[in-house]
Amino acid sequence: MQTILIVEDSATMRAMIASALEDLGVAVKIDEAESGFEALRQLPRHAYDLIVTDINMPDINGLELVSFVKRNEAYRGIPLVIVSTEGSERDREKGLDLGADAYLVKPFEPEALQDLVRSLLDRQAG
Amino acid sequence: MAARGQGGRSRSAKARREFVSEVEEILERMRDDLARLAEQADAGRGSDPEIVNGLFRSAHSLKGLSGMFGLDGMSELAHHLEDVLDGLRMGRAVLDAPGIALFDESVTLVSSTLSKLDDETGREGLEETLGALVARIDAWTRSGAAEEPEAAELDLDPAMLRTLTEYEEHRLGECTRSGKGIYVVEADFEILSFEEGLAELGAAIKELGELISTLPSPGESEASQIRFSMLVASELAVPDLCEQLGVSPERVHQARAVGAPEAERAPAAPVPEAPAEEAAVETSLKSISETVRVDIRKLDELMNLVGELVTQRGAVKAIAAELAQDARTSRHGLALAKVHKTLERKLQELQAGVLDVRMVPLRQVFDKLVRVTRRLRLDLGKEVALEIRGADTELDKLIVEELVDPLMHVVRNAYDHAIESPEERAAAGKPREGRVRVEAFQRGNDVVIQLADDGRGIDADAVRARAVAQGLLGVDEEISDREALDLIFAPGLSTRAEVTETSGRGVGMDVVRSNIAALGGIVDVESHPGRGTTLSMTLPITLAIIQALIVGVGEQSYAIPLNSVRETLLLDPADVQRSDGREMLNLRGEALLLRRLADEFGLEGAAGSDKGYAVVLGLGDMRLGLVVDDLRGQQDTVIKPIQGPASKVRGIAGATELGELGAVLVLDVSALVEDAVRGREAASERTADGGESTSAAPSDADSEREGDE
Amino acid sequence: MSVDVQPESANRWDVLARAAARREAEEDAAVLVELLAFDLDGDPYAIPVERVREIVRLRPVTAVPRVPAEVMGVISLRGEIVQVVDLRRRLGLAPAEATRRSRIIVLHADDTEVSAIRVDAVTDVLRVPESGVLPPPTTDSEFVDGLCECAGRFVSLMNLERVLSLGRS
Repeated sequence: MQTILIVEDSATMRAMIASALEDLGVAVKIDEAESGFEALRQLPRHAYDLIVTDINMPDINGLELVSFVKRNEAYRGIPLVIVSTEGSERDREKGLDLGADAYLVKPFEPEALQDLVRSLLDRQAG
Repeated sequence: MAARGQGGRSRSAKARREFVSEVEEILERMRDDLARLAEQADAGRGSDPEIVNGLFRSAHSLKGLSGMFGLDGMSELAHHLEDVLDGLRMGRAVLDAPGIALFDESVTLVSSTLSKLDDETGREGLEETLGALVARIDAWTRSGAAEEPEAAELDLDPAMLRTLTEYEEHRLGECTRSGKGIYVVEADFEILSFEEGLAELGAAIKELGELISTLPSPGESEASQIRFSMLVASELAVPDLCEQLGVSPERVHQARAVGAPEAERAPAAPVPEAPAEEAAVETSLKSISETVRVDIRKLDELMNLVGELVTQRGAVKAIAAELAQDARTSRHGLALAKVHKTLERKLQELQAGVLDVRMVPLRQVFDKLVRVTRRLRLDLGKEVALEIRGADTELDKLIVEELVDPLMHVVRNAYDHAIESPEERAAAGKPREGRVRVEAFQRGNDVVIQLADDGRGIDADAVRARAVAQGLLGVDEEISDREALDLIFAPGLSTRAEVTETSGRGVGMDVVRSNIAALGGIVDVESHPGRGTTLSMTLPITLAIIQALIVGVGEQSYAIPLNSVRETLLLDPADVQRSDGREMLNLRGEALLLRRLADEFGLEGAAGSDKGYAVVLGLGDMRLGLVVDDLRGQQDTVIKPIQGPASKVRGIAGATELGELGAVLVLDVSALVEDAVRGREAASERTADGGESTSAAPSDADSEREGDE
Repeated sequence: MSVDVQPESANRWDVLARAAARREAEEDAAVLVELLAFDLDGDPYAIPVERVREIVRLRPVTAVPRVPAEVMGVISLRGEIVQVVDLRRRLGLAPAEATRRSRIIVLHADDTEVSAIRVDAVTDVLRVPESGVLPPPTTDSEFVDGLCECAGRFVSLMNLERVLSLGRS
């Protein structure tokens, strides 16, 4: 069983992403965080296998979360996907620069997210 | 198309609800933000960057959500709004009135689209409007565009710079250009419980400047720690910033322009000793802190604490007195008594201070009255002038809130019934225009609100006849005009046969009286047929802390609000006489009705029940001597409502905690006096607001109160 | 002008959403209810944990006049004044002296109000699958909503609404 954390302030988006991930074909447990702060709180309590995060959130932004995860010995190895509404090219570059493993532009098809997550989880396992 | 529409309807209702409610929330937020921006534009102030950014975020979320849900038109509009807002927040454009109007229109249009989620044809109709609006937004955007000037580069940690979004970069540049100092404030927290502390620090920073970004980092020493680096722009210098935030100087780093010599850094950092600069900083701080909004519940908590302190103070006093009596400890006792005096004084100041914060002027309620009556005048076609006096009189915020309904009701009554039509008035030799005066003033520890009209007045005989007709009064029962007037507060009595929309049906004055009674106040009426009616509401200034007389019956203690205690008398059994089964006393020529609290509450009083004290209670001009076993002193008390399944008890206003006595019940003087003087049975049961009765299952406690009503 | 408001993606998201709803329903079936168990006249009873605000030792109760006899009176909880219902009396059981194990359970009566009940002893927190709750043996059981088996004995699940609606039944 693999555990995935979704960090996203929109309840609708969380529900949609969760439904896509539950349909991966592999058993996953999904945790949801409504904010960057909540994600920070949950990180030490669970061993996550993958994180999906939004960029624009009210407390800390997704880039700051990526930076935190990738600079932290304990979490560095967790694959990280940024999902964000198509926007600034700079933000996208920064995200990948900070160590995010993928960047997906909303709106996206569920298959796009599923394929991406599957390959990242495989890479992790392999 | 039809098949697709079907697909839309069959979409999981939950996801759909989630979507609709989230978009509605976003729209609501956008409306609020737009209203605030419009206010700022009207006042000639620049737009608050935080609000503009909030709007941007809303448009951004809207675009994302509608895009995922396949609502392309909505998504397209949101996209354009987002672009425009991005320009605004980045300082590339300035928001003007036409711009705000465009946004308002957009919000309305999105809202219409949302309401037509199921109606495909209706939504198609909106598409054209959407397209047109997008074009107008683009035209408006092109009308004004400014380039962002370069800001000096700062020596910030690259790790931090890398995490800034474009907008945060822009804010950083903007703040640097405006001469603010740029700081990185570091703070460490336990990773499992950082939120509260971080939120506090964040709020403190926002008081002193702008919080541009918050970057979490792994803690340096322990794995259980998390460090936050906050990028802050402020006009304060490092020492002031440290002091105000309560962080040590080594946790605050000032960013410097790359290549700038030490002396030139931080343009706004004031020289500590320069008085002029300091004054400037002080005023800028003051303008922030002058309007702090406080949740009333927080004030309640404070008030509770003060109440507990007051209770503790009583204990200190008792210990001091005890120590003073013993020769061996009297020196300490006296010293403690002195400390206690100071403590008492300071506590009173603290109490007064907290109370003061709760006080709000009646103006806000009175303004509402003015608005409502303006409409009433139009609806009723009567000529009435409303005169307001004493709007600055202050009352506890909670009381003011509860006053809206009763005041509104009484004023409506005046407009509706009391003031005659212009023709009637002219025929009676009165000016065509009626007058209603609402006046508030302070009297001792009370605030009095009087509502006077110069209308037709209340005809006591008509009230009597009506009361008899409705069975509230016996056919041969004789009552004075004053008592008759008082009947307008009886439940179910309406003095007008016809009913108008404005005042509703027959309900009313009884509700007004019980509302006011619930606030610890009383209502009196005075009327002169043909000349008008005056209604007086007397209210305590605050609900929070009252002085109470503690009385005892057997083992039990009760608290009586001191403002309704007129005097206390040592009861001499020889003075008590009976009349028609009622006990009374000659009090300086007046017959004072007596009631024994023990009988009233079915308690075991002290033996030889003639002994004791009579506490003379006053309610308006009604008097009652409440007989108790002993007097147990005065106390400051905080009255609390009783919570629980049978919490509404006639005669009990609430309870209070009094040190070692534990919970002590506070008597509802108005109910006790009213019941006694009106001759209701002592143990008669009637819940305070005429709601459900307290018990149905027969039990020893309530068998004795059956038979009434 | 015709606008494609339901692109292909929406349908695929839709399929997912329905699948998610199905899974949720399955999970719900396995939901565990948490119960606070207490003792009354030697028999075990329980109430949902989320209704419990706190549990305090028995303390002096101030009598309140003009209330049903089941109401023992009020206590002060850090300044809050709360009525205490004697559960023995409410259930028509014989009264009992207070013991060292007697407790007052403070309950959330609704969103804003609290109430309290006195019990003989608080014994345990139970986790029971929702499906394991059985109906009570009689249909006219006023205060008991259901039973759950625990270590060979039946624990009665209290209907707090009825217990706390004095005189409203």
